Amino acid sequence: MSSPLDSARPSEIPFRNPGWAGNTGQFELTEAEVRGDEYIGARALDGGHPSGAPAFPFMLVERNPDAPLFEGPYKTRFEKILTRYPDVQGALIPVLALAQEVRGHVSPSTLQEIAQLTGIPEAEVRGVASFYTMLNKRPVGRFLIQVCTNISCNLCGGDEVLHAFLEYTGTELGETSEGGVFTVTEVECLAACGFPTAVQINSRYYENVTPAGVPALLDRLRTEAR
Amino acid sequence: MSESATKPMVTATLDGRTVTVPKGTTILQAAETVGVWVPHYCYHPGLSSPAQCRLCLVEVQGAPKLAPSCVTELQEGQVVHTESPKAKEMRQGVLEFYLANHPLDCPVCDQSGECKLQDYVHAEGRVHGRSREPKRGFGRDDYGRDVLFYGDRCGRCTRCVRFMDEVAKDPRLTVVERGNRSVIDTFFEEGLQGSAFAGNIVDICPVGALVSKDFLHKARAWDLDHSPSVCPNCSQGCNIDLHVRDDVVQRLRPRANLEVNHHWMCDYGRHRYEWMNRQDRIEVPVVGSSADGVALEWGLALRQVADRLANAPQPVMAVASASSSNEDLGALAHLVRALGGGEIVFRSERAEKEIPLPGFPTLTRRYDLVPNRMGAEILGMTRVGKDDGTGGLEGWAAHRGTLLVLGDELRDVGVDFGPSAGLYVYLGSYPTPAASSAHAVLPVTTFAEGEGTFANVEGRVQRFWPGVRPPGLARPAWLVLAALVERLGGAAVPESAEAAFLRVAELAPELQGLTYEAIGTQGALLNEPVALPGSRS
Repeated sequence: MSSPLDSARPSEIPFRNPGWAGNTGQFELTEAEVRGDEYIGARALDGGHPSGAPAFPFMLVERNPDAPLFEGPYKTRFEKILTRYPDVQGALIPVLALAQEVRGHVSPSTLQEIAQLTGIPEAEVRGVASFYTMLNKRPVGRFLIQVCTNISCNLCGGDEVLHAFLEYTGTELGETSEGGVFTVTEVECLAACGFPTAVQINSRYYENVTPAGVPALLDRLRTEAR
Repeated sequence: MSESATKPMVTATLDGRTVTVPKGTTILQAAETVGVWVPHYCYHPGLSSPAQCRLCLVEVQGAPKLAPSCVTELQEGQVVHTESPKAKEMRQGVLEFYLANHPLDCPVCDQSGECKLQDYVHAEGRVHGRSREPKRGFGRDDYGRDVLFYGDRCGRCTRCVRFMDEVAKDPRLTVVERGNRSVIDTFFEEGLQGSAFAGNIVDICPVGALVSKDFLHKARAWDLDHSPSVCPNCSQGCNIDLHVRDDVVQRLRPRANLEVNHHWMCDYGRHRYEWMNRQDRIEVPVVGSSADGVALEWGLALRQVADRLANAPQPVMAVASASSSNEDLGALAHLVRALGGGEIVFRSERAEKEIPLPGFPTLTRRYDLVPNRMGAEILGMTRVGKDDGTGGLEGWAAHRGTLLVLGDELRDVGVDFGPSAGLYVYLGSYPTPAASSAHAVLPVTTFAEGEGTFANVEGRVQRFWPGVRPPGLARPAWLVLAALVERLGGAAVPESAEAAFLRVAELAPELQGLTYEAIGTQGALLNEPVALPGSRS
């Protein structure tokens, strides 16, 4: 099993979508339809194909912390979310994810706005938002790098990978690098135990990551960030 | 049992005892009926049960797993063990987890001595903890108002969260974060400002996580004497306990009465107790005007006052206080009657609005900020003056007959009160300029020092018990007044507050048939339905 990171040879599959098996002829959907137009850091404004709906709170489109909450296509999606659940409490988590998609993180003022929009008590909104680690309570960089250090990854050097990320981005754990490009965090199991060390960068999985592969990976991301 | 006629009953065996309870009763409540106390944190009789503290798990014979007794209904024929090895081992394990991050700062914790964690660990916990991990620390958080939060001591029972949500209907508390970082908090810096009932979360906290700032480091729980009483700060008459150390009231705590205040009381009443500890007191009877007044012992003082009252100039007018007990007010009415009758008025403070507890609206901070307006009114006294408790006595300065004052400090009137009165007797607890022209000043006990009854806004007569020793020669007003009546040729002095209460019933048919025994600790309604002054009609 080789990862694009381990070898210098250019992959047959474009790097930008390593999880996309290519058009096998079995389905008629294009990747753009499944993933949204721009894969990294982007999700279609209308939410994309339903197959992508439950995931990707890290796929951040605007990342403008001062952006108005739920306007235009986001408003449509917000209203759609509310109709999906029997009560407004059930819709809270997807609404928080949507807010994070717009603003990059859920700040106290965002939580307050959501409380007003949904009628859920502010304290409860905060309680829910703080429970889920996939919701960023603080601003994060353009790339949120989540390194797994749970059992399998730990046995295969997850700690070293984490340290490599911290060293090459020049940040402390949870801190955002200069220019707001990288934030490195440590996470529990990413459910990719077969390919340790697993790293999730925004919504994308990178598997079999080794400390040696970290600088090249970061370089590639820096290029994309420009 | 009357319940059995309406509700199906279930019979089960609980720790070897046979227990019969209405269907739907939880195991925990059924156990309490036979004196088996199942340890618990999250269950509270006034709140819903989330079954999350895992401490009340009991063994139900035949069931594969232990059952949370606070939510499991007792079934017919069930055999329940709360003290079986399995249940005890589980409790020991749960308690060990509770202590894993607990700071064990009992020596400086206000809850120490009345702490459920302390009690349970002392009774059933492991001798030594096995955790070798460093404890995580939170420090403390000021929630505003009277509430201080020590996160490290918290066991996440969420009683406070549920109280604010279900009873105060002001869901401002929540559990923030997850795992061992989880902690109770409000929405960031919002705090509990503006909540009129937040003090209750300190009471229901089973550990020392929520403590009162007012009570912080003031007294140890085991030094406090608890005297059952009735809150004297409004006409709701919440049942309370006076917590007293060395004759100083340290705090008020609600006492359960499901028909008056459930398990709760308002912050307004809770924090108005300092006046019970006032040190400026009238301590000896003084007969004579302020210039040549002589401090006398009671026998002499009573004789001299009675001698003067025997020739009391007419008309007789009296100012009472709606903070006095029925016994005191009744004795005053008896004395006025013995003097040939006269008008008795009282003044009382009234709030601009009521403050109901949304989840239990029976409990409301009432308009009347005195405990016994109902009692004064059924004894035929009339309320005068303004809503701030002043005024109403404008014409009294020129009064030339007999003046009697009981309890009212007359702060707004001052030295101008009663200078031209033929006879002016002042019975009170605190020195006041208004008593300066009195011919006799007699020291009486306060509410906290005496025994008696109040009639609350719905006409419920409730007893209170003495919690503090009276200073000097202060005596209950009913005793002093009855002694004067006796010396004027009336009935003999009643031997107790109870006898004094029975005598009050002669004046008010509403009280007839009521006895201290019938009133008990939970109160009894007046005989006749009465209009509710001060309530939302």
